[in-house]
Amino acid sequence: MKYDVVVIGGGLAGLTSAIRCAEAGLRSVAISTGESALAFASGSIDVLGFHHDNRPIEEPFTQISQLPAEHPYRKLGAEALHQSLDFFQSQMAAAGLAMTGHGQKNHGRLTALGAIRPAWLSQKGTRALPLTAPASGIGRVAVVNFAGFRDFQPTLVAAGLSRQPGFTDVAFTLADIKAETLNINARNACELRSLELAHILKRDLFSQPNGLHILSSALQKAARNADLVVIPSVLSDTDGNDLIVELERLSGLHICEVATLPPSLPGMRIAAALKQRFRQSGGLFLEGDQVLGGQFEHDRLLSITTRLNQDMPLSASHFVLATGTFFSQGLASDRHHLQEPVFGLAVNSPQDTEQWSGERFMDGRQHCFSRTGVITDGGLNPYRNGQKINNLYCAGAVLDGFNPVQEASAGGIAISTGWFVAERIISAVAHAPEHHLRGLETC
Amino acid sequence: MLNLFDSSFDHCIKCTVCTTRCPVAEANPDYPGPKQAGPDGERLRIKNPQLYDVALKYCSNCKRCEVVCPSGVQVGTVIQLAKARHGGFSKGPREFILSHTDLLGPLSSATAPLVNMATGLKPVKKLLDKTLGIDERQTLPKYSRQTFRSWFQSMAARQVQFKRKISFFHGCFTNYNDPTVGKHLVAVLNAMNIGVTLLKKEKCCGVPLIANGFFDQARKNARLNLGQFADTLNDNKGIECILTTEPSCAMTLRDEYPEVLQVDNHHLKERILLASAFIVRELDSGNAPKMAPVNLRVAYHSPCHLIKQGGVIYAMELLNSIPGLEVVMLDQKCCGMSGTYGFKKENYETSQKIGQAVFDQLTGMAVDYVVTDCQSCKMQIETNTSYKVLHPLTLMAQSLA
Repeated sequence: MKYDVVVIGGGLAGLTSAIRCAEAGLRSVAISTGESALAFASGSIDVLGFHHDNRPIEEPFTQISQLPAEHPYRKLGAEALHQSLDFFQSQMAAAGLAMTGHGQKNHGRLTALGAIRPAWLSQKGTRALPLTAPASGIGRVAVVNFAGFRDFQPTLVAAGLSRQPGFTDVAFTLADIKAETLNINARNACELRSLELAHILKRDLFSQPNGLHILSSALQKAARNADLVVIPSVLSDTDGNDLIVELERLSGLHICEVATLPPSLPGMRIAAALKQRFRQSGGLFLEGDQVLGGQFEHDRLLSITTRLNQDMPLSASHFVLATGTFFSQGLASDRHHLQEPVFGLAVNSPQDTEQWSGERFMDGRQHCFSRTGVITDGGLNPYRNGQKINNLYCAGAVLDGFNPVQEASAGGIAISTGWFVAERIISAVAHAPEHHLRGLETC
Repeated sequence: MLNLFDSSFDHCIKCTVCTTRCPVAEANPDYPGPKQAGPDGERLRIKNPQLYDVALKYCSNCKRCEVVCPSGVQVGTVIQLAKARHGGFSKGPREFILSHTDLLGPLSSATAPLVNMATGLKPVKKLLDKTLGIDERQTLPKYSRQTFRSWFQSMAARQVQFKRKISFFHGCFTNYNDPTVGKHLVAVLNAMNIGVTLLKKEKCCGVPLIANGFFDQARKNARLNLGQFADTLNDNKGIECILTTEPSCAMTLRDEYPEVLQVDNHHLKERILLASAFIVRELDSGNAPKMAPVNLRVAYHSPCHLIKQGGVIYAMELLNSIPGLEVVMLDQKCCGMSGTYGFKKENYETSQKIGQAVFDQLTGMAVDYVVTDCQSCKMQIETNTSYKVLHPLTLMAQSLA
């Protein structure tokens, strides 16, 4: 089985890359071990949120040239970064998921711990706050939960948010909406995850002709004229944004949904939209299989072997490695080594294991492990046994040279590097000798 | 005590991804979902068997939880084994009838016209509904008057002329209900200069037996089948491998024997193949049958058990090799039938709700046929949409020049 491109990894980076390749007419396959980290992500896309010294960045694109030379953004440049984000935005829109931002500026998105994190694109149900004055026009915030739902804690939101600049004088209202008020049958509400609550709301509330009105009235009563109403993202994994827009219209409230403990419904919407776009572009998505290794010849990867089809290697002209970091098993560690487990690519990590992490987990300083990754050249090609592999490209969190947590850059890195390597592959295929032959034959 | 249990469920990190993809949990909020039913519940059940949750009966064994688990937990298997250990299967006459396909097959096939007429009658359906709990809204599968095996007798002589040979595990549905796919496999392989042989004897792979809790019978079948495979592959007649056209049979023969039934098959596993995988391998090595353009547009539905074993790529490769065939891939959603699951009265609504996304996507789609590898998916889609459903091999057989 021979493909133009095999993408290893079904997360934000892998699927962005795969969609771009498939859309350009390349025969593309994406392989994913399991659901990606998008199911745990905020559902907003950050690009570059913090300076090295933790000061927030207002205009990320003006800061790209200040980054160290080995940073992925420096390798692809601000123009490619911009194009990739436009591409992503248009793909999401084509799948019916509108994502917008504040022009050239970052906006603030609220987290379930009441922090305000810089972001570039957010969904409609996520209220984009102005980053410099997030509390402007807000005198009272209501944090409203569904009674018994444990994966969202209003007290934590309020405690965190009240410490944010501008929010110290804001009044907070904490409230619960009871199942009886909505007439929903929430079996053991304390056991429900966000998605299960969404299913129950769909079955018992939104299926009623006046369901949204009932919720709107309940929110009005609970929020008591607050200027901002924060709710957990539990309304729907599909049309949750539209439901919030409609609730705002009915209630006159400003509503902001916040991703809960996993699963994150806003993150799931992005994952679903990416898969839909890949399929619609003609790509083949293989879930639940795992790439075990590859067959190399000098500077090229010829084929890969997967767990489920070990005697049937998959060949391709180009390969993308977008396997994430430790959680997604794109990087692995034992007591002595940090490694890239699929191909054994060169990884940037200190010999001395003491240096992998700082002494304290959360003291505002960076940990080495969160910037560790696969070493690549300017074109994002990795090295194996000292040899650069010219038809294997790396994208997303598996790359080294950046710290997604400290910089607030994970989304932008995934999208831009995924898109960038797809562009490189498309151009390489267009210039390949066999491609010319193919073109000539059809003439 | 603890070492009696497989503790691999402890790799679960409680991320809930399995539950997000569980079609049953989405359609029926009374089902606690694979995370609670599987690894969470297992911890409790080990402590105290009385903490077994009867809601596990709602699991349809589609295996999608295992496909998406980022930590490699065999969630579906944990649930099946827990049901077996804690008496979670009801195992009544209905379960017996639905699952013992190769006991009822010969009887029904012999009296096919009568059985088919009877099971199509409203009063009979009502009776089955009221007495057994087989939902009257469901269309029962028809039986074939001539079994695949008896049809094959007329073909057997031709098969020995081929230098290369495989052995075909036809399964119950192809033998008793609809031999079409088997006939098409013979046509396609013969066109590729490969002969087809049958096993001296075969029993139901065991998938409906496992799904209904008849593990002992399933184990007996597993041993018999594996014995037959070993005999056939070792008898120096040059049989290359065992092929099956049914994804659920393939999954059971290859994966469920060791994982669920604890019947070792490691020495044979790599020689038990999906027919599509075998054919794609042949195509890759240059052995393609002569095909003429079919000029059709079809929608491809990927069965859950095919996704689970990584077989979707073969179905797509096979379809893409057929000239003049345009394939639209549907979203990889569950159709809701899950073998015998959708026939049971208490599951009927859930089964329909699960399938709705597939039916909706197909509504108004400009395609000539729907294509899928699984006979159970075929029944569900044909009953609930206006499309005729074909096996990929049928299209390939149609294209043979």
